[in-house]
Amino acid sequence: MANVQDSGLSMLERFREVNRTFPRNRELVEWRDRGGKVFGWLCTYVPEEVIHAAGVLPIRIVGYSQETDLDDGNAYMYVNNCSFSRSCLQLGLRGEYDFLDGVVGGSTCDGARRLFDLWRQYVRTPFHHVLTVPRKYTDRAHMLYHCEVLEFKQHLEEYLGLKITEEALYHSILLYNESRELLRKLYDLRKQEKPPISGAETMEVLNASFRMPKEVFNQWLADLLDEASRSERKSSGRVRLMLVGSVLTNADFVRFIEDQGGMVVTDELCTSTRYWGDPVVLDSGLSLTEAISRRYLNNFPCARMFPSEERFDRIIQAALGFRVDGVVSQTIRYCVPYAHDLPLLEKRLRECGIPMLALDIEYGTSGSGQIKTRVQAFIEMLEAKRR
Amino acid sequence: MTSQMTENKLSVIIRACRLVRRMLRADPEARRSQLMYYSMLEEYFARILRAKEEGGFLVGHTVFFPAEIIYAMGLVPMHTETATWTMALFTGDCSDILASGARLGMAQEICTPHRGLTGAFASGALPHPDVMLWSNMVCDNTAKSGELIMEVCHCPGFLLDRPFKRSQHEIGYLVSELEDMICFLEERSGRKMDWDKLSEIVARMDRQIELVRQINELRKNVPTPFRPQGFLELLTVDYLFPGQPEALEYLETLHQELTEAVREGRGAVKPERFRLMTFFIPPMYLMGFLDRMSRQFGAVSVIEPFFTYWGEGRLEASRPLESVAMKSYMIPEMRMYGPLDERALNAIVQCVDDYKVDGAIYYADVGCRHSCATIKLFKDILAEKGVPTLVVDCDVVDSTVTPEDEVREKLEQFFELLEER
Ligand code: SF4
Ligand code: SF4
Repeated sequence: MANVQDSGLSMLERFREVNRTFPRNRELVEWRDRGGKVFGWLCTYVPEEVIHAAGVLPIRIVGYSQETDLDDGNAYMYVNNCSFSRSCLQLGLRGEYDFLDGVVGGSTCDGARRLFDLWRQYVRTPFHHVLTVPRKYTDRAHMLYHCEVLEFKQHLEEYLGLKITEEALYHSILLYNESRELLRKLYDLRKQEKPPISGAETMEVLNASFRMPKEVFNQWLADLLDEASRSERKSSGRVRLMLVGSVLTNADFVRFIEDQGGMVVTDELCTSTRYWGDPVVLDSGLSLTEAISRRYLNNFPCARMFPSEERFDRIIQAALGFRVDGVVSQTIRYCVPYAHDLPLLEKRLRECGIPMLALDIEYGTSGSGQIKTRVQAFIEMLEAKRR
Repeated sequence: MTSQMTENKLSVIIRACRLVRRMLRADPEARRSQLMYYSMLEEYFARILRAKEEGGFLVGHTVFFPAEIIYAMGLVPMHTETATWTMALFTGDCSDILASGARLGMAQEICTPHRGLTGAFASGALPHPDVMLWSNMVCDNTAKSGELIMEVCHCPGFLLDRPFKRSQHEIGYLVSELEDMICFLEERSGRKMDWDKLSEIVARMDRQIELVRQINELRKNVPTPFRPQGFLELLTVDYLFPGQPEALEYLETLHQELTEAVREGRGAVKPERFRLMTFFIPPMYLMGFLDRMSRQFGAVSVIEPFFTYWGEGRLEASRPLESVAMKSYMIPEMRMYGPLDERALNAIVQCVDDYKVDGAIYYADVGCRHSCATIKLFKDILAEKGVPTLVVDCDVVDSTVTPEDEVREKLEQFFELLEER
């Protein structure tokens, strides 16, 4: 367990068990045994609350947790698409997501939209829906996205033969906001000089959050927070790091960085901060669906959004808030949105005096010799700078 | 230094166009439309040069962008990807601009038209626009290209956000995006939008689309009358001259020539042996070679579902802005953006039957992710119709990716396979 003293945090085991056994984890199996439907979503712009309010369990579709041969993914998607989308598709093609009753995507990036297209053609999950996600934050863009959320809600209602009530939506918003608040508290712990929980462990918690009902997850997370805040554990990492870039779910990669002496204290990943980042704000002037759509479009932005300055500003805010010494960017090969942002992000960070290390990786990697050397050199440079 | 290099790259294109025209004049088999095409190209790039010299307002824009608006405002458009392709076509070597893109920190994953483009701006190989317009049509590379260009060229810019699907609220959003863009252009250029002129352009654009449809009708004939890689002319004319009088003149001339050829039973290749469907763009630096191969083997591209096969619909001069928005849903390539549903996929099946297709060639551009992700799907659809597909790994611009010999070998084997069938 990275560079955090190995005592305590028994609560972490529950989350690890979910990840280890997914999709046969008890919480999911029990849900399905009770006749519950499960929908998979492909990207953080899909409003989970709407699915949940329809009585369906939303889970996130991700790829293999480790780097692996992607023969089927390559054959169907070609090698020049990001390994995340190829990895997800391969799992779908091999029947690992056959339990899904629906799949929901967004027009977020080429990888994600083609994953949706091919999933629809070859995996044939019964229900599918894709939302247009505008790239801007203008009033018109918000109106458009709200229409998209309403259309999605209507499609769900028609397909499931039910009405998504205001009460159900309200309840789902509160439930998901509670998760966000708990995750924010988890991240706050990492603002400490020597955090009691590592970046890798935090990722394990987040991975589980996509794979189980939030009702149970929230309870578990509250327990973990309680345990962590009372524990004596302290990270022994020498420099504070922030992780940015493409989608990342392999906690071993974070552990690998922490093993070199870094403390990953925050991130901007769509599987971490960008997932739980902002709450749905219930404002008396907005309908519930408007409140939801606003939250999703205004959330900590993906590199696909314009202007990129919004993303850069949020990264810098987080970097300062968590007092990081440096930023590690990891771009999955062929992840074009993040690759395009790199020169500009590097410049912005430099202007703020924050050094950045840019790594090209494949989805699922746990690190390699060459990456190790570069991470070590980066950490040494940051240490020297600190002195 | 910078302006000298600018001179050079655009001048190279202009000089090459002149040279091709001289050669065509000496060729008794050359079509008049070909001559027209090269003088249009020459004038397009000369106008960009002049704009910089004479204080015109130069508007850089990405592919599939509604340049009708730029023309209607009397501004000078510069289609950025076409500028990069054209450099590759006429110089055969883009290593300098690609290296310049790499120096900016642009990753290998970014497709070469865009790496080369930003590199060309950074090195001064292309003149800096006064404003940069870009859109998310049709991929992430176009959607993400603008901000770095703005930084490199020190110019303001506008992203036109084209929605993914085509519901009424999405079309409404696109119209509002166009309105915002016009305000942006008016502010920056000091020119006003000329709505009458836009209506005229839209009316001509409608005729332009109709002419391409009619030309495609002629291409259905056996033997087909249009050159093996002639479709690239159709593309370029749409990209660079939407709704322009010279585009109509070119298309009308071409239509006449092809009608005559059909009447006389003259095919583009003699004898015509293989009728091909083409996906994506062949490598520009291999165009001469591909032309020779096509003639040698009697192979000719008869249809390109995502390049020349326009979707249904008409443009209305009385509703110019809505028409410009609608056009973005009719453009053949835009079937690749938006959900790949039956509407998009049926176009392939329909084309196989209508154009009597024997085989398909998919130019798999290593940097073009969204198109390559369709290869297996299209191949499967074609296989169901009994049509084999050849996939040629390549790069539109970077000549180091696939050597000519490799392409030759693949094509020869493919033609053998078609022959056996
Ligand atoms: S953001 Fe990047 S990694 Fe994620 S799906 Fe899109 S291309 Fe792939
Ligand atoms: S080559 Fe492909 S990725 Fe590049 S601009 Fe063209 S369509 Fe987009």
